[in-house]
Amino acid sequence: MANNKFDVEIRHTSDCAIMKTDGYLNSPGGESLAEAARELIDKGNIKLVINLEQTRLINSIGISILIEIIELLEERDGMLNFCSLTPVIERTFRMMGIAQHAGIFPDEASAINNL
Amino acid sequence: MRPVSAEETIERLIFSLSELEQLGETIISGHGNFNVSSRTYLRMILGTLRVTNGAILRYHPTENHLSIEASIPEGDKSLVIPVTPDEITAMLESSILDLSNPPPTLQSFLNQICPQLKALGANLWAPLKIRDEFLGVISLGRLFTTGDIQAWDRELLNVLANQTSIAIVYSRMLENTRVEKFRFFTLSDMATQFSRLLDTDSLEEELVNHAVSLLDASAGGLILMDELTRRLEMKTHFQLNPELETLSIPIDSNCTQHPAISMLRKVTTQGTTQICTDDKTVALFGVKNLLVVPMHGRTESVLGVLVVGDKEGRGGVTLEFTEENCVLLEAFASQASVAIENARLYQEALEARELRGEMEEAAKIQEGLIPDTEPDIPGYDVRGYYEPRGAVGGDYFDYIQEPNGSSWVLVIADASGKGMQAALMMATLRAGLYSEVMREQDLQSMVVALNSLLYESSTDGKYATFFYARLQPETDWLTCLHAGHNYPLVVRSDGSCEWLGMKTGGVPLGMFPGDMLSQIGEYEPEPIQLHSGDVVLFYTDGVTETENPDNDQYGEERLENIAKRLHRTDTNEILAGIRDDVLEFQGTAQQFDDLALMVLKKK
Repeated sequence: MANNKFDVEIRHTSDCAIMKTDGYLNSPGGESLAEAARELIDKGNIKLVINLEQTRLINSIGISILIEIIELLEERDGMLNFCSLTPVIERTFRMMGIAQHAGIFPDEASAINNL
Repeated sequence: MRPVSAEETIERLIFSLSELEQLGETIISGHGNFNVSSRTYLRMILGTLRVTNGAILRYHPTENHLSIEASIPEGDKSLVIPVTPDEITAMLESSILDLSNPPPTLQSFLNQICPQLKALGANLWAPLKIRDEFLGVISLGRLFTTGDIQAWDRELLNVLANQTSIAIVYSRMLENTRVEKFRFFTLSDMATQFSRLLDTDSLEEELVNHAVSLLDASAGGLILMDELTRRLEMKTHFQLNPELETLSIPIDSNCTQHPAISMLRKVTTQGTTQICTDDKTVALFGVKNLLVVPMHGRTESVLGVLVVGDKEGRGGVTLEFTEENCVLLEAFASQASVAIENARLYQEALEARELRGEMEEAAKIQEGLIPDTEPDIPGYDVRGYYEPRGAVGGDYFDYIQEPNGSSWVLVIADASGKGMQAALMMATLRAGLYSEVMREQDLQSMVVALNSLLYESSTDGKYATFFYARLQPETDWLTCLHAGHNYPLVVRSDGSCEWLGMKTGGVPLGMFPGDMLSQIGEYEPEPIQLHSGDVVLFYTDGVTETENPDNDQYGEERLENIAKRLHRTDTNEILAGIRDDVLEFQGTAQQFDDLALMVLKKK
């Protein structure tokens, strides 16, 4: 019921897809991100970059959904890099073990180059 | 149907054991999310049993229904099957359900969900359960080869259902561990981060964000009490009803209009946590449910309340807040309270330092305004005394020789307010006064010009009281003009007293615009003749309004008495005597207004 605004903008480079989020990465936000990721993966896009520049807040459900996306990509031998994280979210990712399965980069260009 | 040979049976047995081993490996491989791996499990189950179609349905206790977790072939994911507690009990008591021949306890249920079963192509159901907890079902179509399920296929399906149940519970355990790890990290990270945040606005915003995130909520807000107004005010919020941004509730008022307001008052005054689902309250906050915890200060006082709303579950459901959530948010709120108090203390220290700096500057300006030497006026002795007490008060006195060289202007003034603003106002008045004296304007034109100068240069309705006296030593006439200042006291040589300016005079300077001045009153000059031994005492309200420990004021009467006692002495002794009398009266009481005195005595 709370007014949750969450957007996912998708762009493509020659060999990867970039998903740029905007808003609270919680249950509804995470589900829409996961749905967009599933669609991309099903179409064969197995190299993904998630740009979290406009996401300043994440909860445990959002973390769980990101782990699902990572597992889905691992099943397909894909790869995921994150970029432009706030310091709090970056610390959270490292603490929660996400950094062991996905790259964390300061900007989009380095995230794409390291796929 | 062709009988199954011993060789085929052994091959299938080996294959089944191999698949079971793989299933076990998948469970412990670290791919904990069942909703990711469920399709893999289903594929293994269908392959092992040689079934062409099937689905894994998960039970959602908050919604009391089964929904598709995975299906082969891909089916309608929006399909749901409502289940009642009795139907769950019946399924927990069953092992494999042959849907064409169900037990009597489930017959009616299965008849009701016939369309869903048809959509699933379901022939067999294997309940998923751990002890007496119902987790879902494996739904299978017809067997690829034999058509009917054999006894040992039933046993195999039971084993596969058990493995799948373990995978679901394992996934849930991993999820719970992840949530706890996340909460632990958020709490510990918060302690580090908040101790560094000393800007109250940033701290309040971060605090709400962390609370929302920690509780897996959708919205939250911080409502703090203003100590001066005793009102609860919304400081910051995340995704609550935007109309609450102007929320301001008097905490001590007994009139109860809205349940939300009563609830906030209760949490604040009683310091008790509340879980709210009351329709009006949650509607006001723009959520479905609300957890409200008090924020306690160091001294048992309540700083305010922290609220979070709409606890999230997977799949867009809103969950109820639990007792465990209350304890968690209370722990968070106690850490947050310390951070808020620290930030406030830091801000106060900064402001005090800034204020001290400003006061020092103001004192320097003030010091520069007060003359440090006495003028040499033929036939007269004149002397001033100024003592700063506490905040700089904007007191001013001066003696200015007119350009003709024979007349003198004696002034005393007091700016409203304190500190830099008062000091600057006095500096402006002094500059204007010198300019007007040098232009030799008539008194009324001068006072109108000074009024306009102060009115246009001051802010926030500041003004200055002002008393002007023009002394002509050759004739011993003193012409006075009074603008809202304390009445100077004349003590004649015989000890009789009179107050100057009581009959004439106008409002303080800078209080009203020039065009209103004539409507309010006339600044009429008041001349008095001075004689040998006469004393004129000018002073600011710091003298007569000095208070003693009983909060009594020094007053005009006491000033008159001391002046009568001292008028035969010289100006030095008169000033010192009045000062000592004021300080004696003050005793141990604190005083914040400056003391300014000026004495004119006709020799």
